[in-house]
Amino acid sequence: MVRSALRGAIGAGFMVAAIASASAQVLEIGADAGPTGLDPHLITAFPSFMVVNGNVYEGLTAIDKDLKTVPSLAESWTAAPDGKTYTFKLRSGVKFHDGSDMNAEDVVASIKRVQSKDIASPLASRLAAIESANAVDPQTVELKLKEPSAALLSSLAYIAIVPSAMEANKDALQKAPVGTGPFKFQEWQPNGFILLTKNDAYWEKGLPKLAGLKFNIVPESATRQVGLSNGQYALLPNIDAATALQLKGKPNVKLAETMDLAYTLIGMNVSKPPFDNAKVREAVNYAINRQEIVDAALFGAGVPGGPLSPALKSWALNVSQFACYKPDPAKAQALLKEAGVSTPVAVTLKVLPRQDVKDIAQVVQEQLNKAGFKVELVNQEQGQFIQDWRNSNFDMFASINAGQPDPDEYFYRTFRTGGSTNVFKYSDAEIDGLLDQARSQQDQAARKTAYDKVQQKLACSGPAAHLTYGTLFSAMNSKLQGYDVLPNRSLMLLRNASY
Amino acid sequence: MNRVLLARFIDLIFVLFGVSIIVFLMIRLIPGDAVAIMLGANTEITPERMAELNRRVGLDRPIVEQYLLWAGAALRGDFGTSLWTGRPVAGEIFLHLWPTLELTFLALLIGAVLAVPVGCLMAQTRGGAADVAMRVTAIAGLTIPSFWLGIVLILLLASWAPGFASLGYVPFSEDPIGNLQRMTLPAIALALPILANLSRLVRSAMLDALGQDYVRTARAKGLAERKVVYKHALRNALIPFLTSVGIMTGYLLGGAIVVEQVFAIPGLGRLILGAIAERNYPLIQATILVVTAGFVLVNFLVDLLYIVVDPRVRA
Repeated sequence: MVRSALRGAIGAGFMVAAIASASAQVLEIGADAGPTGLDPHLITAFPSFMVVNGNVYEGLTAIDKDLKTVPSLAESWTAAPDGKTYTFKLRSGVKFHDGSDMNAEDVVASIKRVQSKDIASPLASRLAAIESANAVDPQTVELKLKEPSAALLSSLAYIAIVPSAMEANKDALQKAPVGTGPFKFQEWQPNGFILLTKNDAYWEKGLPKLAGLKFNIVPESATRQVGLSNGQYALLPNIDAATALQLKGKPNVKLAETMDLAYTLIGMNVSKPPFDNAKVREAVNYAINRQEIVDAALFGAGVPGGPLSPALKSWALNVSQFACYKPDPAKAQALLKEAGVSTPVAVTLKVLPRQDVKDIAQVVQEQLNKAGFKVELVNQEQGQFIQDWRNSNFDMFASINAGQPDPDEYFYRTFRTGGSTNVFKYSDAEIDGLLDQARSQQDQAARKTAYDKVQQKLACSGPAAHLTYGTLFSAMNSKLQGYDVLPNRSLMLLRNASY
Repeated sequence: MNRVLLARFIDLIFVLFGVSIIVFLMIRLIPGDAVAIMLGANTEITPERMAELNRRVGLDRPIVEQYLLWAGAALRGDFGTSLWTGRPVAGEIFLHLWPTLELTFLALLIGAVLAVPVGCLMAQTRGGAADVAMRVTAIAGLTIPSFWLGIVLILLLASWAPGFASLGYVPFSEDPIGNLQRMTLPAIALALPILANLSRLVRSAMLDALGQDYVRTARAKGLAERKVVYKHALRNALIPFLTSVGIMTGYLLGGAIVVEQVFAIPGLGRLILGAIAERNYPLIQATILVVTAGFVLVNFLVDLLYIVVDPRVRA
């Protein structure tokens, strides 16, 4: 009697376990690199970003798959007519993973934390326009700006809201993040895996559908591919074209793709010859055949691109509007002659150590050499490359940069005189004027007009020759349903996925 | 005996001291510092912000002061915290040590244990078809790169036994079967070159020993051939074998980077590789010290084994 009751209980237990595993599973993800930390205000690398962004942490706003800014922890907002005061109404019933309520104090503390000198957050510049943040009541936050900032709302999507107790704490969140997102942090084994589990108290009812996310850190591409084909991993996020082509058509594997916001570019140092001469920079653009780069280095999976990603549909100009994007080595030679430099122009090209960038750099070298340049490739180790890049110690460099959902976030710091990532030392009064104007302007059409002019000018004689925007692939098990990939490489829509 | 121990201990201290200085200086000579890499290429950096971070991680002090601070703390058993994650370095090393120890143990078990009979067999059948076949296989085993072998093994297993979990790592204490499943392929990939190397070594040492007078004497007094080979000849052939095993163990303890990469195993090799790439100074320093200490200790153990194997050394 006792024994059969016991057996029944065990049987029931098994059934419960079986049902639970059928309805919600931990998604096994094969990631190429592990995070270097998990504090949302300190991290800069993709491997960290992809774990915490939108999964563990949320901002007041979020970026959707069309790169539009949508409400997240803020339910709604209003801007004063002068564009210098924003009032955010917070969503009610939102809890942090430690069980405490998320309220206006936490939002204010998070903004102050990012702005704090002591924390030294690399995100601080995104909030440069904010003069003060105040909690009006527990559900209302007011931001006062020094000057109107058109990019504020999309910038806020990247500012994670953390508990106010963390305002002055530099270390705790790096190891154990505490956010409001659909998944909460469970365990991190460096070089092994990161495990996030379902947040049962998540504010959006019915989400997430998965029981958790496990980011397995698998550095070898061949290993990840085998792991996906034999079912050990269910998702390989943000893979390159070469890997995607190999996985195409494999049983139980499907591919999702989107236009990447990240762009490849050749940067030129305008503080010294020969690239101080705008004609030489224009010659570079005529010499480069972007379609050839896409075909040869990206296996056809990408498009030639100008200063803004075609993914930014409401901003980017079509590349057919840039005269110098029609490859013309003879014109390049003529421009070099006009510039009065002696040919062949000998320059070095420093290369970021990533396979796609190395491939692109080789194609560019060949193209430039045919048009009157003599390019020497310098393959550098990552740390060395970044150091030289930061110190403007280069003639040219080849690199890939993460794109931004709003043009201001990219253009202003990169091409404005004295901009913080203006490593080219570029300075142009017309560009400066247009960027200032577009930044403080609220009217979308007027901003668009200004940015059109900026793109026109930067495309041919700017300090950066933008090359390509790749197709961003994600490979997944065909059983994974409801997951949309985002151009900014965030995995935040995993909350909607089921497996 | 005690004197041998003491001398070895003093050696160890000197080696660790020397290595700590070399490592400390070398990683600071690599261009590109921790702070620059930490801030990344895509973020806004002002000189003030770099200075702040430098101060936070203590890189603004003179290098001698940095070394003394670090060495002083290390002597008290405090290896500091990881620059990036703020986790204690000792804990990170401890976590990564287990997979490496297990992999080392399994690979040596397969490699060294098989090498003795294979090597003896090769020596006994010298010049015969079996000897040639095994020697060719051994050369193949030595020359095939382990990353290629690893990937081939993964692919083969994936097609033969799709359900077999072969990637990643789970601790033995959590899931013994899952652990052994995942360790099988990397252990084989690591063991093959060891087996090839050691069996060739045993073969030549045995050939040497089998030509000696005492072997002829043993045969002359009518001992069975097996006894001649395994009791008389092998014991004398073991000294170079032990030396080799010791050195290999030392290398394996440093982490088999390539195999760890291919099989996604969080061992010491990947810890060191990652730490160097991100210029995680405290982590590099402590890990290399631990690996060095392991290397020296293993060789010390081998010296002790000589005494067991060869009575002449005892004198």
